[in-house]
Amino acid sequence: MEHMGIEPGRLQFSWISSAESTKFVEVVTQVTAAIKALGPHSNFAKKMAEVA
Amino acid sequence: MKMITIKKNEWAGGLEKAAQAFRLFGPVKEKEFHSFKRLQTGVLPDLTCLNTRLSPKHLIYPQSEVMFDYTLDESKADHHILKETARDDSPQAVVGIRPCDAKAFVLVRMNFDTPEYQDPYWIRAYESTTLVGLGCAAPCSSCFCTTAGCGPYHEEGLDVLLADAGDHYLAKVLTEKGATFVAAAGWRTAAEPQAADQKIAALKQASESKIASFVQTDNLRAAETTDLHNAAFWEEVSFACINCGTCTFSCPTCWCFDIQDENRGKTGVRMKNWDSCMYPLFTLHGTGHNPRGSKLHRVRQRFMHKLKYFVDKYDRGIQCVGCGRCVRLCPVNIDIRRVCNMMNGFAASGEACAIK
Amino acid sequence: MLSYTEKIREIAGRLLQSGAVEMVIGFRAGTVPMMNEPHFAKTPADVQKLVWDSHCGINLANYLTDRKEKIGVVAKGCDSRNIVTHIIENKIKREQLVIIGVPCKGMVDKRKIAMKAEAEITEVIEAETTITVKGHGFSKTFEKKDVLQHNCALCIHRNPVIHDEIVGAPVEEQQGVDRYADVRSLEAMTPEQRWKYFDDLLTPCIRCYACRNACPLCYCPTCFVDEARPQWVGKSQDPGDVRTFHFLRAYHCAGRCTDCGACERACPVGINMRTFTKKLEKDCLDLFGWEAGLDPEVRPPLDVYRPQDPNDFIK
Repeated sequence: MEHMGIEPGRLQFSWISSAESTKFVEVVTQVTAAIKALGPHSNFAKKMAEVA
Repeated sequence: MKMITIKKNEWAGGLEKAAQAFRLFGPVKEKEFHSFKRLQTGVLPDLTCLNTRLSPKHLIYPQSEVMFDYTLDESKADHHILKETARDDSPQAVVGIRPCDAKAFVLVRMNFDTPEYQDPYWIRAYESTTLVGLGCAAPCSSCFCTTAGCGPYHEEGLDVLLADAGDHYLAKVLTEKGATFVAAAGWRTAAEPQAADQKIAALKQASESKIASFVQTDNLRAAETTDLHNAAFWEEVSFACINCGTCTFSCPTCWCFDIQDENRGKTGVRMKNWDSCMYPLFTLHGTGHNPRGSKLHRVRQRFMHKLKYFVDKYDRGIQCVGCGRCVRLCPVNIDIRRVCNMMNGFAASGEACAIK
Repeated sequence: MLSYTEKIREIAGRLLQSGAVEMVIGFRAGTVPMMNEPHFAKTPADVQKLVWDSHCGINLANYLTDRKEKIGVVAKGCDSRNIVTHIIENKIKREQLVIIGVPCKGMVDKRKIAMKAEAEITEVIEAETTITVKGHGFSKTFEKKDVLQHNCALCIHRNPVIHDEIVGAPVEEQQGVDRYADVRSLEAMTPEQRWKYFDDLLTPCIRCYACRNACPLCYCPTCFVDEARPQWVGKSQDPGDVRTFHFLRAYHCAGRCTDCGACERACPVGINMRTFTKKLEKDCLDLFGWEAGLDPEVRPPLDVYRPQDPNDFIK
């Protein structure tokens, strides 16, 4: 995805078991903050089809 | 039929004037090949182009076209109502279109403008378009227009036919629309009609003698449809086909489309996109049944449609203008000329002829 | 290489006569310059139509998928690796095939040649190392190695990795080839530059799917772009949808693509979509030491879990 021009950090991976609720909360909070810091991504957000 | 002389040094100025009344489109070179594009101020159509990679049908019939938009937001007064999307139908002129592509519009119109059904999108776009054609001085080796119902100086479908006569163009004004365009461009120098006619006839003859590719179609009308349909050669013809949409999308006479809605949250549009009979899903029914589920069915269908069903239905010749795009662009070199001759030969002999 | 045509015909004729195969898939001469048409031979007359030259870029492994007959198939290096992948993925059984291997020095790029020609090309004459194109009022000769398809210029598997028959002596594999110079130059760009690069690359796309259909790996009964319930990707020419089609297709080819170049060759508007797959190929090599289609006995890394699989990107 980065190769295509999406900024690093927008796509993140984590292994979280359904039993690891604390980890889930932490990761979600962290990632949300990180993405918000990057700001809105407009390139790949399709609103309405951009056609004739 | 008015004849106008346009000196080559008047060409650019005339187009600039015409641009005030028309949106101008013409062949423009982009990297490897030409496309019909909107001519920006100061940009001239590239008339050295033999023909564009893809046909100009997208100027009247865009590949993706939004027809309606709607909102599902119940707080809005017009919710759940399809509203026609605003479109620009102001006069447009295509400068440098080849006679084959103009004839193609005539054939397509037979489908989109009938007594029972009219496609308002296509018709509105077509009626606001003036086609200023350029006769072909140098047909390609894959052009077979003369045996496909038109030719390098064919006039059907054109509003003006331009012939390159060296230091000037001869413009044969064929319709009212053509006259309006020529007047808007300020090209007023009348040409002596007889001499101009003779010059164009001579150019036409010279071009037609350069055509090196031909198809035989004389037996198609009389052929027995079911016999052709069941011919043994379809297996061999369809083997290489990869069922992409290249032939249908590059063809100026192909017209199939698909309508669908695209939503985002509470708003959406209803649009139409070009579709291709080559795609497996083209004939997929709601039940899950697909009458043309195999490649052979689809390939056979395309050629039967273009070279037999259309011939029978309209009696105006084949649904092909010999532009040669499918021949040049097919990734696996399936050649409609070969198939047409096979079908024509089969119809003549009534049995599978030698597959060439 | 010019002698391959005779050899292919001889082998095909022999295989059909002995009943070892029911059909032989190869190429017949094209009707336009620099093109050939995939063709199946079942009779001696069909066999005589088989040809081989430097315009056989389409991947014939594409025609094997899910067939049930015994088939002879002409395969160059890249094609043979796709056949291996087909065997691994159960799309054809090894026992069904008689693979006629072709050691290949590369296919020529008809677009490159057309750009260098002064006018329309009407005749092509091929010699052992050169190719001459002629048209109205011009004739131009090229060294084949200067006008190869992009993927062929970088090829490191020119000899078939699997074959039952072979039409000539193995050719020397290219040494010291930098397969990923173009990938690295993209990696050096900023995200905005890369976004723009791919935007420009995909602008001419007409969603014809020639690339997908020419690819032997793309054999899903219903491709993700054709799904309607739900619809994952729009069918229009919206730039986001066009980009999604291309990069998502590339993902599906990750670890399987052999860089045969059929996609680029098939594209009617000349898009170099290998720009997507090369990156994934490089990643597979870097992360898993994997090259697709070399051994029918080894399962691909994206198929198999190994504890040492890289996972430092997972938090």
